[in-house]
Amino acid sequence: MFESDGSVRPHYKNLLERFNELSEDEFHQKKSAVDLSFLHQGITFTVYGDSESTERIFPFDMVPRVIPNTEWKHLERGLEQRIRALNLFLHDVYHEQKILKDKIIPSELVLGAKHFRKAFMGIDVPRDIYIHICGTDLIRDDKGDYLVLEDNGRCPSGVSYMLENRQAMKRAFPRFFPSAGVKSVLDYPQRLLSALRHIAPNGNPNPTVAVLTPGVYNSAYFEHCFLARQMGVEIVEGRDLVVSKDDCIYMRTTEGLKQVDVLYRRIDDDFIDPEVFRKDSLLGVPGLVRAYQKGNLGLANSIGTGVADDKVIYCYVPAMIKYYLGEDAILPNVETWLPFRDVDLKYTLENMENLVVKAANEAGGYGMIIGPTASKKELEEFRAKVKAEPRNYISQTPISLSRHPTYGDEGFDGRHIDLRPYIICGEDVNIIPGGLTRVALRKGSLVVNSSQGGGSKDTWVLNADE
Amino acid sequence: MLCRVADSLFWMSRYIERAESTVRLLDVTLQSLLETEHSTEDIDYSLWRPLLASLGDQELFESLYTEKRSHHVTEFLLFNKENPSSVFSTVAVARENSRMIRDQISSEMWEVINRLYLFLKNSDPELITREMNFSFFQQIKEYSLLFQGITEATFLHKLGYEFIICGRQIERADKTCRILDTKRLMISMSDEVDDVVDTAQWAAILRGCSAYEAYHRVFADEIEGDLVKTLLVLSRDFPRSVLFSITRLQTALHAISKCPTTHFVNEAERLVGLLISRLQYSTPKDLAGDKVYPLLGLIEDELGEIAVALSDTYMFSEIVDPAAEVAETTA
Repeated sequence: MFESDGSVRPHYKNLLERFNELSEDEFHQKKSAVDLSFLHQGITFTVYGDSESTERIFPFDMVPRVIPNTEWKHLERGLEQRIRALNLFLHDVYHEQKILKDKIIPSELVLGAKHFRKAFMGIDVPRDIYIHICGTDLIRDDKGDYLVLEDNGRCPSGVSYMLENRQAMKRAFPRFFPSAGVKSVLDYPQRLLSALRHIAPNGNPNPTVAVLTPGVYNSAYFEHCFLARQMGVEIVEGRDLVVSKDDCIYMRTTEGLKQVDVLYRRIDDDFIDPEVFRKDSLLGVPGLVRAYQKGNLGLANSIGTGVADDKVIYCYVPAMIKYYLGEDAILPNVETWLPFRDVDLKYTLENMENLVVKAANEAGGYGMIIGPTASKKELEEFRAKVKAEPRNYISQTPISLSRHPTYGDEGFDGRHIDLRPYIICGEDVNIIPGGLTRVALRKGSLVVNSSQGGGSKDTWVLNADE
Repeated sequence: MLCRVADSLFWMSRYIERAESTVRLLDVTLQSLLETEHSTEDIDYSLWRPLLASLGDQELFESLYTEKRSHHVTEFLLFNKENPSSVFSTVAVARENSRMIRDQISSEMWEVINRLYLFLKNSDPELITREMNFSFFQQIKEYSLLFQGITEATFLHKLGYEFIICGRQIERADKTCRILDTKRLMISMSDEVDDVVDTAQWAAILRGCSAYEAYHRVFADEIEGDLVKTLLVLSRDFPRSVLFSITRLQTALHAISKCPTTHFVNEAERLVGLLISRLQYSTPKDLAGDKVYPLLGLIEDELGEIAVALSDTYMFSEIVDPAAEVAETTA
């Protein structure tokens, strides 16, 4: 919001003027009204390992993050370039593997990746799209440049909060909002639906689309329902579906079986089909992979995309962009060391107290250590883990995430934030102007994940630069 | 409609109705007991036992509570999480069911169930059960009625709506029987029932079924047990009577199958038809004195069978393999 000299950045002037008209009491009242409405609507997420009050509202901060138009245009170009490269990469590694043969990426990294699905070698997917929905996490460094922190190419969540946050802001500031010149995000469900219809088998112009959820106990269940309702499609669980001998997939309805053409699945690969992946999974649908391989089902995201958002493979995305598109990456990565290389391992072990070290396949802020705040014992334990499985870790210089004014118990104060824009890849690439700005509500904390005390705020992309 | 969704709509509705009915049962019983006892704390546990027995909860209650005072019973029926049929538990299950089908119901329907759940969760059981708070009963009944009104006014009156009606009507007919049955239990509680207490008990039953005014409009008379039974079992106009409730159930069942009510295409429809004709061709004489109690038991059993048949028909349909089916029909 502020320049380094303390002056207000131009695209925040309008907002700040409006906020200055409000007394702290008025602001507090608006905030309480929003929280209560979230609770009554049940806009909540589930915290694992907390038996008593397992549902909490996702803390919402009333101070929006504002992005000027030119800055957004830059992000859009960078994200589109990135998703194109990732989809080309996935097609390549599941077919000819040219990028491995040309030694751009060491093949053992890809073939040994936890989420590489050998069963999908040589399988064609509808329209050659693997990642249909991507949530790429971005941060701004101390120079104000955006960097990519990670790509979420499996089942990125949080988009319902983006939509609900916008509704909340409109309700809280009914007079100010329309004049603020903010780009709309509300057509996300429609864009998602057209991307899903785009991958219907055999170009079926009128496919039956459904959202596949692990069920009511999943932390993102609210979001699954929300999206199904907004798109006007059925939400199904594994037990609602059956794959018959014709290798097509059907829903069980009160009037008999009905064929499903496209699934927007929010279940991870591991649980989606007990015939192929985890045998003990009750959430999935036996035979789903068979239906998909036979071309009788469109699936978003495709199976095996996790190899592209592996944190080690992440380091090679700029190289992918160069290799497939012949372009330089518009959005740089955060500087990263890969301990599977001996030099980087040595560096990581020797400098761990100054680094952030993360497991390659964990999410949600788990399986990581923040060197500068960790105790000696924690550092020792983590060193042992990295030494044991160097392929499974990466290390990065902690980026001091940019800070943003946030309204908390002690009034307004600076808190660290990141940004997750949502990219939809169908007939074209669509990037919803905005995204989920997550904020670390605990003072000084760098962890923005909802499971670990994070909250969110609305993200305003302006039609202009001020 | 997905079988699972039909199942959730049915149970969401049935559990909300059950929460309301449990409150009604408790309300009736407490009001009657207070005719003879001075305060809720004076009510001896032995007076509660028949109610617990009729709900099938006596064993569970006695295993959970070492001390058995009156407020323990009300705590057990209203709030206890280990009692699956406590008001709190039934509302929690109704909420889980509606959460599973949030995309199918109107947001207002979900919000009223969620608010009821939060209301119960934030209530202080100690405060409410120690000095029995009748306005608390009233609030729960109002939430349930609000839910019904909102459903009526915001939910598509199509297939899903009929499953909601089915859940509600089965539960309502069953609980009207059980509320009437409390009279038998009250008789067994006190050896000598004088006329004043007797009338007060029937009046409590009428109020528990929201039937007090209806009774006076239909009979314009002093309160008499046999007339109360006639109203609550055989009335074709009073919405909580058994006959009215299952007639509405029949309409819903046939709206689902689109089969006219003169025929039947599944077991649930057949059983409902049988039960309706039995009541339609009953007279107040068939309910006189103690004759009503075996009939109530029979109705309760039949309703159980109907619920099972309904579930077998629509909610857990066998997985039919279309390819195998085609092969069968061509063979």
